[in-house]
Amino acid sequence: MPLPKLADKIAAQRATMSDELRLAYEQSVAEMLAIGAGTTALAVGDRFPDIMLPNAEGDLIAIADLLALGPVVVTFFRGIWCPYCRLMLDALVAALPEIEAAGARLVGVTPETGGLALTTKRNHGASFEVLCDVDSGLGLDCGVVFRTPMAYRALLLKHGRDLAPRHGNESWFLPLPSVFVLDRAGIVRWRYFTTDFTEQAEPDDILAALRALER
Amino acid sequence: MELHQVRYFVALCRTLNFTRAAAECNVTQPALTRAIQKLEEELGGALLYRDRGMTQLTPLGRATLPHLSGMLAAAETARRVADDTLGRQQMHLRVGLGPAIAAARVADVVGRLARHCPTLDVHFEEGTTSLLVEAMLGDALDCALLPDADLPERLHRWRLFEECCVVLLPAAHPLAERDTLTAADLKDETLLVGQRCGGFALRLIEAGDASFTVRRCGGSWVQMLDLVAAGLGVALLPDALAIGPGLVSRPLVAPELRRGVALTVVAGRPQGMAVAQFVKLCRARAFAPA
Repeated sequence: MPLPKLADKIAAQRATMSDELRLAYEQSVAEMLAIGAGTTALAVGDRFPDIMLPNAEGDLIAIADLLALGPVVVTFFRGIWCPYCRLMLDALVAALPEIEAAGARLVGVTPETGGLALTTKRNHGASFEVLCDVDSGLGLDCGVVFRTPMAYRALLLKHGRDLAPRHGNESWFLPLPSVFVLDRAGIVRWRYFTTDFTEQAEPDDILAALRALER
Repeated sequence: MELHQVRYFVALCRTLNFTRAAAECNVTQPALTRAIQKLEEELGGALLYRDRGMTQLTPLGRATLPHLSGMLAAAETARRVADDTLGRQQMHLRVGLGPAIAAARVADVVGRLARHCPTLDVHFEEGTTSLLVEAMLGDALDCALLPDADLPERLHRWRLFEECCVVLLPAAHPLAERDTLTAADLKDETLLVGQRCGGFALRLIEAGDASFTVRRCGGSWVQMLDLVAAGLGVALLPDALAIGPGLVSRPLVAPELRRGVALTVVAGRPQGMAVAQFVKLCRARAFAPA
């Protein structure tokens, strides 16, 4: 059975934007397109970095140990303050049984610290790993990190979403919404990224990419 | 942005010389120059002045450098730990513990780290904030847990948890029958005041709500508890400390005294793998209240 379209929910969420937010959002997306954000993302055929990061429960998790069990889907999200990320997380929770049925493991990656990875899991009832990318090192390694445009940063601050205490640094770097499907050898076999942070990968597309691995 | 662009930029900031930075990064100078230009486009301005052979950081370059080098270090240490676990290198972790901060607070984190670093050596050092800061600056300690008030600029700090003040009494003390205590309850008591015991007693005295008899005592909170047990006075300490039999702890509710405890490292100092992962593990999680 096909999963409900995430794009429909995202469109509904986007329609709720205030004019002020829409303007800052459109400016930011245009700015990020102009500077080529995301053109540096890992490509199909690239090896995913062999890294070790803390998970939501406070243990160190090595990507290599997950790959030993099967293919891995890595999805970067901006944080639980982001409504589009929350929609994506809910969609992934719904898609998890099918992802696991395809023999794969799902890993979320957040730049948020101070226990927010665990809060994310609890809020969404997520049983997959959520890794805490402290100081966005993995995001940089994957080429998906960008500096938050000033107009958008000002708007986030105005609405009480100061990323500095959430990240534990003053950098205001964020990952683009991006997904990497890795085969057992850790090679990127499918990827998704967008400079428009209100867009997200469709779980059906992720599943199709996973099923294609088996062939 | 890309890892190699950031690596080249950080090397260039260190050398302030395109030729030397290119050699250090094992790339040609034109490749390094192109990468820096790409990074400048992405960050929206020049990061360096390139005047008559003199290379200098622009204000944007100076402002961005700590952020980019922090991100680069995070990427590199994540990778290197993965490599080192296989290599079974000897690893060290030296943690300073500020006044009346218990190692128990981070013992669980150390345990989780040690699972991935079987050869990890762990060293704790108790001391006053100024001694521990000096030890960190002199590279005798990797990091320290310190009360987060009035810390020097040179330290990066992340608040991990807050602590409340409790009153430690002998179990047979009449005040032990109360559930909570106030400053007024303590006015006939002798307060033990030490340099390395968290500073709650001094704060209570300075608040001036009551006058107290004071007995100064050196040493750490451990010795102070021994003096409480021997009947020399009562102690005001943070709530997270393990106390021996024969003593009880009662929350001080008026005034309510709290302190924040931060994990600190020297800004810009390269960290060993175990240290970098310890800091990441501490920053990633929430610490439950005591």
